[in-house]
Amino acid sequence: MPNNDDFRVKRIQKMLLEMARGNFFYRLEPSDRNDNMASLAVMLNMVNEEIRASFIHQGFANTRNTPQCIIQLSLLLDSKGIVEMVANSTCSLLSCLPHDLIGRPIIQFMTEVSQKRWVKKFPKLLKKERTETILQLELHTFEGLLIKKDFNISVFQAFDGSGQKILLDTVFFSKGAPFGTGLPKKNLKVTKGIKEPKVMLRPQDIQMIRDVHDMIINHLERDLPTLKDLALQMGTNEYKLKYGFKQLYGTTIFRFQTQERLRKARTLIEHSGHSLKEIAHMTGFKSAAHFSRAFREKYGQSPSDLRE
Amino acid sequence: MKKSHENTYAIYLLTDDLLHIIYKKGHCIDLPAAQLIVKDRMQLQQGRKMPILCDIRNLVQVNKPARDYLAFEGSQWIKALAFLIDPPVTDVISALYLGTQAQNVPTRSFTKESDALDFLRSL
Repeated sequence: MPNNDDFRVKRIQKMLLEMARGNFFYRLEPSDRNDNMASLAVMLNMVNEEIRASFIHQGFANTRNTPQCIIQLSLLLDSKGIVEMVANSTCSLLSCLPHDLIGRPIIQFMTEVSQKRWVKKFPKLLKKERTETILQLELHTFEGLLIKKDFNISVFQAFDGSGQKILLDTVFFSKGAPFGTGLPKKNLKVTKGIKEPKVMLRPQDIQMIRDVHDMIINHLERDLPTLKDLALQMGTNEYKLKYGFKQLYGTTIFRFQTQERLRKARTLIEHSGHSLKEIAHMTGFKSAAHFSRAFREKYGQSPSDLRE
Repeated sequence: MKKSHENTYAIYLLTDDLLHIIYKKGHCIDLPAAQLIVKDRMQLQQGRKMPILCDIRNLVQVNKPARDYLAFEGSQWIKALAFLIDPPVTDVISALYLGTQAQNVPTRSFTKESDALDFLRSL
């Protein structure tokens, strides 16, 4: 694969173009060099991930009407792992035409790590007549970007007696119409039904709410004051604090604090020698019983079950 | 007392006053890797809060779930944190990490190990 500066700049431009279109699911291949171009690629990958995380969150948790486009990546394989059929959007995602994929082994389009994973998993998949599983795979697009996702893999028997078939399937979300206007747009109104009022947030309000967020995660052991007192302390009003926080983080201030306390507690249960009572106290829970109940609600098992 | 440990991604050297973590070459750190790195660190420290010198000069990539885990779940029992970097690649990795994650412990990046140790010992 060519690796000169021109080539690397073109990759970066391609990646930026995809981001400008609202496609945050691509990635640049990391380089083994330590130069400015490599640092730019690394930065771009990380910024891309940050934007993707925030817009999925915004889309699902906050705004009332953000249209999201779903793009399906589906490939039908025969029992040797050769591509038999592809969805149109698969070709768009991988920047190619159907005949670039059909008739070729799927493994050709995978990164090295995914190839190893696939080779290990593939014989196991074919052992059963029918099976369904999830496997994380990373594919190369024809324009040299990478695309990684958990694929749903279904193995089934063809009706015509031609043996086993494998369906690889996953979906991506795009901020805008993903590939020009030629494709059907499936607009989802993902957060229909949220009743909270939407507050207008100025940049300084957003900063203030972020400060509240950081204060909570940096002092999980402390109890929060009432919303009214917290708002006063932050120089804002209760309404803006309450609904602004929900708008930005998709949950209430108090629920957020409990969730973050539980995340920290989980790590302590798993890796520390502290007693459960001590952990409950260290992470700000009033009683071991309350801790245990909240923990079970979030993780589906009690702290003592996890420790065993 | 000196103790050491090694896993797929990192080498740990524990002294009386400091934990030195050196990331190995060529790994992309994802969530399971980050979980293992944190688990081994916590098992070595056994509840002792310590300054940590984290040599990330060999890192190629840390993905978002791993960054989030390292910054939150993985921030316990750390008194201060110094990253040892080799610009430009690991410089941007540490800059983005420091710029996007809320830190509750003093954290800085250094290109010289002696400067990093001075920082950790000054606190």
